[in-house]
Amino acid sequence: MADRNLKIAIPKGSLYADTVALLGEAGLDITGLADPGRHLIISNPGVDFIIVRPTDAPVFTTYGGADCGICGKDTLVEAELDTAELVDLKYGYCRFVVAEPEAFAGRADEAYERLGVLRVATKYPNITRSFYEKKGIQADIVKMHGNIELAPIVGMADRIVDITATGRTLRENHLQVVEEVLGSTARFIANKAALRTDPRVVELAEKLEELTRDNELTMS
Amino acid sequence: MIPKAPRGFRDVLPTEAAWRMSIREAINERFKLWGYLPVETPAVELLDVLELGGSLTDMPFRFFDSDNNLLVLRPDVTLPVARMTALRMNKRENWPLRLCYAQHVFTENDSTYGQDRQAMQAGVEFIGEGGTVADAEVLCLLFESLQATGLTDFTVALGTVNVLNALVAEASDDEAWRAQVFKAFHESDRVAIERLAQDGRAKPVYAKVVRELARIRGGEEAIEACRELVAPLGCEDGLDELQRTYELVDANVEGGKLMVDFSIISSFNYYTGMVFKAFAPEVPAALASGGRYDHTLESFGVSAPAAGFAIVFEQLMQALEAQDVRPPHIGPEQIVFDEDPKVMFAKARALREQGKRVVLGGER
Repeated sequence: MADRNLKIAIPKGSLYADTVALLGEAGLDITGLADPGRHLIISNPGVDFIIVRPTDAPVFTTYGGADCGICGKDTLVEAELDTAELVDLKYGYCRFVVAEPEAFAGRADEAYERLGVLRVATKYPNITRSFYEKKGIQADIVKMHGNIELAPIVGMADRIVDITATGRTLRENHLQVVEEVLGSTARFIANKAALRTDPRVVELAEKLEELTRDNELTMS
Repeated sequence: MIPKAPRGFRDVLPTEAAWRMSIREAINERFKLWGYLPVETPAVELLDVLELGGSLTDMPFRFFDSDNNLLVLRPDVTLPVARMTALRMNKRENWPLRLCYAQHVFTENDSTYGQDRQAMQAGVEFIGEGGTVADAEVLCLLFESLQATGLTDFTVALGTVNVLNALVAEASDDEAWRAQVFKAFHESDRVAIERLAQDGRAKPVYAKVVRELARIRGGEEAIEACRELVAPLGCEDGLDELQRTYELVDANVEGGKLMVDFSIISSFNYYTGMVFKAFAPEVPAALASGGRYDHTLESFGVSAPAAGFAIVFEQLMQALEAQDVRPPHIGPEQIVFDEDPKVMFAKARALREQGKRVVLGGER
């Protein structure tokens, strides 16, 4: 297996910088990753970095496009794929929350009491569905692709389920948190066959675990 | 209306169908050489009966027939064979039974190239014999069967459910905790295992070892590593057997790779001893899986030890393609024509008798 480069899916966006730094610390050759430009794949000795949309990292890993990868717990849960989750890397903390407009506080509860159904807008229908199923609440899920906070403002949904790191965007849109859904941090994930046939995956997992063991941040 | 197949099913065209058939024959030849006899079971089973043998998930097709029975399209072949054995092959003087099959199963799987609800499984069940020699027989047969298809690069990961069972039973009385541990092992979710080991619901010494167990993997030395880990807690169940099985298989197979892996847990909960899965580097899901299930027949009314495996064609074919194994050429080798149809038929027949693939040509 060592006759080809290890393929690692790494997420663009907010997790990117920490991910690259950590992989560098783990001894991988991260030349060229600081400024990948328009490159989708960066090949260095021993390793191919596949730069993907954060939500696609579990997809690449599960279907064998990459041997292993890094993604947020949030995208992993939402993807509902058969991937091995190996290490909590303890950065990229964010949380899923249910929120509603401050101005309409209580209106959603009142609607639920009357109808027995909540209408919830979200980019994460799977997480939202399983959250409300566990609570025994009927939720009508409105899948959106961005600017979720608009939905309750224009009366399209009672509440939203969205991700927030600091809560700033929510506050700026006059939304208040109703409850927590789950906390999320970055995870090292692996293709299940690669985990069992390629020792480099296990070695990297062990190195990453060692490097992040003493980090304070853990999942809520 | 588009004349399509239902979601999760697909048609197989000649080149591939011929390949599948030749693979089936190659595997069946190995089964035969080891003395395994073919059986067939019905495509549908009574759900209540099947569930006597183990809890099943992933059954996309459940329906009532006109007798008002709740039926299921078989999601697995091991349970039907166990049922059949208990009902109709239960005379102990004829045991042990070496049975094999090649049948479709119907499950809900992600991504097996359009065939995610129907898969062809070729497998064996070795019934009425326990112990490490029987375990090794099943494993050696798996190696040979995979190799008979032309596969070269594969790993069989071998573990035992006994150690984890013993640890988990000792670690906590909390049923929910135990179930979560098994689920996390099955999903290879080490982060969850980590968290479960620290959440205070289990005795810390045991919980710590449960966590370590998920990482033990390697050659024969991994068995020793596991023994050192669990011996102080008295949870060495199954390790001596595993060691003997490993040695026997390792000495008797060439090619392929045998690994010890204590994180192997099957989605079927009926296994009682060794468990194993075969992987190829190019394919995300297991090519084959199996293990020992000594209590399953008992739940159908006859007590007998048993072990077996099933190879999943859809995964195997993907691995073969990635490893550059190509389908055999099956097209006609010769076209025969003669103005006089009688002569044409005779010529063609003569050639066929020499083993040539011949088609009749000319205008009709």
